[in-house]
Amino acid sequence: MKLISAEFENFRLLRHLQLNFSTDNTKKLTVIRAENETGKTTILNGLQWALYGDDALPARGQDYRLHPIDWDVSDGNRVPISVQVEFETMALRRSPKGLIETRRQYRIIRSTYETLNGTKWERSPSTVRLFHLADTGSVPIDPPEALINEELPPELREVFFTDGDRALSFIEATVSVTTKRERVQKAIRSLLGLGVLEDAMKHVRKAASEVNKAAKGIGSDEKLTQIATKLEQLDKDAGELEDKIEDAKSQFAAFDERLADIQKKIDAALVKGDREKLKRDIEQAERQLKQIDNQRMAASKEHSDLYRSLSLSRDLLTPVLGKALGKLSDLHDQGKIPNTTIPVLEERLKGSTCFCGESLDPHDHDGQRRRTQIQSLIDGSRKADELQSIITDLYYGSRSLQPDQVADEERWLAEYTKVVERRDELEIIREGQGKKLKALEAQLDAIPDTNIQGLRETKRQYAEQRDRFNAARSRYETQLESLRKDRASLVLQRDNLLRELTKGTRILAELKVIQDVERVLQNSYDRITNEELAKVSELMNAIFLEMIGADPEQGAIIRKAEISKDFDIVVYGPNDRTLNPDRDLNGASRRALTLAFILALTKVSEVEAPNVIDTPLGMMSGYVKRSVLKTAIRESSQLVLFLTRSEIADCEEILDREAGRVITLTNPAHYPRMLVNDPQVKERTVLRCECNHRQECKLCQRRMDAEAEMELAS
Amino acid sequence: MPQRYHNPFAGVDLIAPVEQRDSYDRYCQTGGRASIDQSPFPRMVDFWFAGMSLAARKQLSAVDLAKQETFKFIEGSIFDRDSWRVQAVMLVAIAVEDSVEIVAEPRRMMAIANGLAAAGVPHVVDMLRNGDQDPIWNLSESLDELLRKSAA
Repeated sequence: MKLISAEFENFRLLRHLQLNFSTDNTKKLTVIRAENETGKTTILNGLQWALYGDDALPARGQDYRLHPIDWDVSDGNRVPISVQVEFETMALRRSPKGLIETRRQYRIIRSTYETLNGTKWERSPSTVRLFHLADTGSVPIDPPEALINEELPPELREVFFTDGDRALSFIEATVSVTTKRERVQKAIRSLLGLGVLEDAMKHVRKAASEVNKAAKGIGSDEKLTQIATKLEQLDKDAGELEDKIEDAKSQFAAFDERLADIQKKIDAALVKGDREKLKRDIEQAERQLKQIDNQRMAASKEHSDLYRSLSLSRDLLTPVLGKALGKLSDLHDQGKIPNTTIPVLEERLKGSTCFCGESLDPHDHDGQRRRTQIQSLIDGSRKADELQSIITDLYYGSRSLQPDQVADEERWLAEYTKVVERRDELEIIREGQGKKLKALEAQLDAIPDTNIQGLRETKRQYAEQRDRFNAARSRYETQLESLRKDRASLVLQRDNLLRELTKGTRILAELKVIQDVERVLQNSYDRITNEELAKVSELMNAIFLEMIGADPEQGAIIRKAEISKDFDIVVYGPNDRTLNPDRDLNGASRRALTLAFILALTKVSEVEAPNVIDTPLGMMSGYVKRSVLKTAIRESSQLVLFLTRSEIADCEEILDREAGRVITLTNPAHYPRMLVNDPQVKERTVLRCECNHRQECKLCQRRMDAEAEMELAS
Repeated sequence: MPQRYHNPFAGVDLIAPVEQRDSYDRYCQTGGRASIDQSPFPRMVDFWFAGMSLAARKQLSAVDLAKQETFKFIEGSIFDRDSWRVQAVMLVAIAVEDSVEIVAEPRRMMAIANGLAAAGVPHVVDMLRNGDQDPIWNLSESLDELLRKSAA
């Protein structure tokens, strides 16, 4: 899919705005030059609203006003709002002449009304229409969602429409690990079109339910009817629980994001209130706490590893092994276990020195003689019977299990003592650090700033809500787990009863087929997820390293980036040391990493889709900025970038070469502080001019530019 | 590193009585259980091995699983990763049968190990539950006591 144009009417700051995007394959970059507060995020939201509806708005559109804030009610208190997007899709059709590429153009229009009543407003449900723009005219397509979902899967919305800062949430610590993982996992699963498999699994489960009903209908066995009825109810309950789990997950993620946002506001308020030191201290204390928690997690993992250790089995089995090893020793003493084993001798032949220290050089006469002798020993050993061979291997191979061969520090008790000491030590440190953080928060509570206190109260409420949804999710998951166990046991009972009935055999056969199909689907689902995960991971790594390759500071510490099996984005430094993206990566690298992830996802999905990215080059400079820009242009099939002037600086030549279209947006409210000329517009809106990245006109000329020119002229 | 010792149990099933399934699910991290302190065993095979080792140590009689409903949770190929487990199972079988000849019969050796694990797992569960702390600590302290007593 490629975006052709977009038109906004009364969508917040965008009273009347039209945008055209480059669809040229050789110049696939569109640049929208716009400074802060010039509607960049609003355009992103507007495009997504047109395609996906209210769900794509912040907080799913709840309390999110769409009409311009300074709407004059004398123009009517019912504000018409609409966004129209034109796009084209490409499909390949097989014909006797080979593959034929067909392109189709569409227009989607979403519109709504907001009715104003004093300071309150109410939004009507939006209406959406999709038209195929054929040579013969517009043909309505119904329902529009089917095409949009196929061309731009809603789960990948944030991959196609990316806010540079928001995209960092795939790796930043402001949200919980669970949320980050869910985001990455959701994005990867969606891009693979796994929805088809998920739907197929649902159908299969439904079919199983239907067959179960048939079992109930046999009617000749009361117990069978009872079990089948119970199973029917369990399936219904399981479906409801699955829905509840999904809902709790998304609510958790939503509150997690709100928490991150509110934290940013608190930070900003602290800076404004001249409390930067306190803010820094709290941040540092929280970072340290997180580090300690990571160490605690590692220590409990070490503790758990004690239960898979050789030392535990060996020390538990000591009395038993003694008896068995004694038997083997007896055999050895009786000469039934040869002193030399094949593997040991073969190993020796690979080297150039014998056990006795003499040479085994095949070019030397004596060396060759010794080799021949060892070889004859090997041949002799091979002639021993199979049992002797197993016992011989066991005798020599079980040395690690022989209690008398073990040093004290290798015993389980010694290992356990070490783990306990480490865990205890970390608990004490954690408690101290927790107290330190509480003391700092108490200082925060004492600040007589109502704004900060209000924000902190909201933060507490959000945290409570988030934790409540997390708890609910765990509760539902536990219920579902126990329900599935009950189900498995009932299925077993039902199948046994069916086996005994003549009519039941056919039903049982059907159930068996359904179970097999479900297993095949599940295995395919897991396999595809894992394989594609590896592909995205590899491509992300390649793009990321290319982007930051020229940065000497980061190039020296970053070796590799990957997506783990748990869907964590992990960065490695020298000696495979894990780097913390928040602490060890600079701002430019963090942005480069998230962009690399987004571009890799789009590429691996093989979906021809636009990447619309807001402020991608913020915090970047020099060669890295240019490298990120060039790589992003190369990897995307259509790239739309919202860039500020400072982001464009030093990249003009790339834009000269690669941009198929550049336009500039201006906010008239920036006059007189930032704009040189009065745009003569009273209302708050965004205006467009055709100036490219090197030009400026009466409308877009900015004060800093004018001042800089005057300085140059003088 | 190439495997040096042949694993005779590669195609043989590790099984447990159906009534122990809950304990396997409850105390093993396999299957996404996140809390290590609540589910101390990394994998089901580790839980099974602990049961087998404890039963052998306590000289419990192996349970005859042929008469019971069981579930398979993995194959013996899992031992490829830790070859000492192969040797431990063989040595336990020798000790139980009081004969080295059994080493040529992998299925019989595994039947002994499965039976011992089934006998030992309830004791491991007792250790996990007995105490006021999280299962990982309850078990650790019980094992500490058991091993310290025998060292004394």
